[in-house]
Amino acid sequence: MVDSNKWGMVVDIDRCTGCQGCVVACQSENNIPINLEEHFNQRRAIQWIRIERYWEGEYPDVKARFIPIMCQHCGNAPCEPVCPVYATYHNDEGMNVQVYNRCIGTRFCANGCPYHVRFFNFWEPEWPESLKNQLNPDVTVRSRGIMEKCSFCVQRIQRSTRESERDNEVLEDGDRGLNPACVNACASNSLIFGNFNDPDSTVSKMKEDAMQEGERGYQLMENLGTDTNVIYLKKVDESAEVTHGY
Amino acid sequence: MIPGDFQPQKPTGTQLAKLGALGAVLLGGFIGIVLVLTFVISSWLGRPVIFGHDGPDQPIEFPHETHVKELGMDCTFCHRNVEKEAAASVPATGLCMTCHLAVGDELEGITKMRSLYEDGRSIHWVRVHRVPDHVHFVHEAHIRYFSEKDGIEAKDVCATCHGDVASMDKVQQNRALKMGDCVNCHKQNNAPTDCATCHY
Repeated sequence: MVDSNKWGMVVDIDRCTGCQGCVVACQSENNIPINLEEHFNQRRAIQWIRIERYWEGEYPDVKARFIPIMCQHCGNAPCEPVCPVYATYHNDEGMNVQVYNRCIGTRFCANGCPYHVRFFNFWEPEWPESLKNQLNPDVTVRSRGIMEKCSFCVQRIQRSTRESERDNEVLEDGDRGLNPACVNACASNSLIFGNFNDPDSTVSKMKEDAMQEGERGYQLMENLGTDTNVIYLKKVDESAEVTHGY
Repeated sequence: MIPGDFQPQKPTGTQLAKLGALGAVLLGGFIGIVLVLTFVISSWLGRPVIFGHDGPDQPIEFPHETHVKELGMDCTFCHRNVEKEAAASVPATGLCMTCHLAVGDELEGITKMRSLYEDGRSIHWVRVHRVPDHVHFVHEAHIRYFSEKDGIEAKDVCATCHGDVASMDKVQQNRALKMGDCVNCHKQNNAPTDCATCHY
C-alpha cells in the first residue's frame, strides 16, 4: 500500500496492431460526440486517444507503423501554467485534470500542448436519437465552448478507490475496473495502466526495465522536458528503425 | 374670470391614454424587477424563495409522514441503493405494490399508482434535489463516512442534508447544495477538496 498514487500508462508499440479498439472504447466511455467527415476536414474532430499511422519503406516492402497517442499527463505540463482560470491543474495523483465548469474556452492550453491531445468543443455535442440512452452518466457531457481531453478515465479510478475503501481492501493493478476504457478494450495488451508510486505494480516494473540504457522505453518528445506519465516501448524490429518524428 | 385663477380642466382622451400607458409600463417594470429579484435571490440561495418554496407538486402525493413516522419504515427500505451506489434511487412501483396490493383502496393516489403498475409504466416523480451535470455526488461514500464517524445507522445520516423529510408535507430542499456548502463540509471533515473528487 502506498500513501499517494501516481497513475500512469505504458504503451508497447510492438504489440499495437492499430485496430482502433481503444479509440472506439474511449469515444463511448467518455461521451465524445460522433466525429463527422467535415469535422476531420476542419481539424476539429475530438479524439481523446488516437492511432497515428505511418508508412515505412517503398512498395512492395511497405510497413505500417501505429502509435496510440493520448494525453501524456505531463509532470511539467505546458498546458497548465497558461490557463488564466486554473481550469487545468495537476492533482495529487499525478493526473492532469481538466475542470469543465471552470473552463472559459481561451484555448491557450491547446496551443501549449505539444502532443495535440486537447480538444475544443466547437459545437454543442449531438448524438442520433438511437444513441441518446448510451451516454455514460458518470461523465459530464461537455457543452460548446470548453476544452476537453483524456482524463485517464478518472471516473473509474474514483469509483474503484471508493469501492476498495468501502470494503477495506488494497487497490491493486486492474482491480474493480480501475483500468481506463482503452486499456480494457486493447486486444493485444499493448496498453498497461497502473500506479507508478507502487514499486510492485506492473507499470513501475516495466518502466524500470524499459528505461535502462539500451532498452526500449522512451517518452514522447522527451527533449521538451515535459516529464510524461506515459511510457512508450519502441518497436522490436531491427530492419526498420523507428523514428520519433522530431 | 380672474387672470391666474386656477380652473381645473377635464383631461382629454389622449392625456388619459398616455397616463394609462405610463402606468402600465411602470407596473410592468415593477413586476419585472420583482421577478428578476426573485430569480437572483433564489439562485443565490440555491433554492426557490417565493414560487415553489415548499417543493414541487408531485404526480402522486406521497406522504412521507405516514410511511416513516407512523409506520416506522427506514429511508433505506425504499431508497435501497443509497448505501451501495452513487444514486439513492427511487423504487419501482413493484415495491409499492408489495403493500398496496392490499391496503389503501380508498385513496386516489393508490388507484393511479396501481393503474401505472398494471401498464408497466413508472411514476414520473419531479426531482427535488438536483446538482448540475458536472457534479458527481456519491451517496454511498457520504453515508458510510457519517455513519462510521457518528456511530449511527444509515437512515439517520440522511437528515444531515435532506432535513426532516419525515415531517414534510411535500418534499422540499433543505440545504442550498451549492459548491461552497459542499467545500465547507469537506474541509471540516478533512475530506479531499481536489476538483477531480466531484468534477469529471
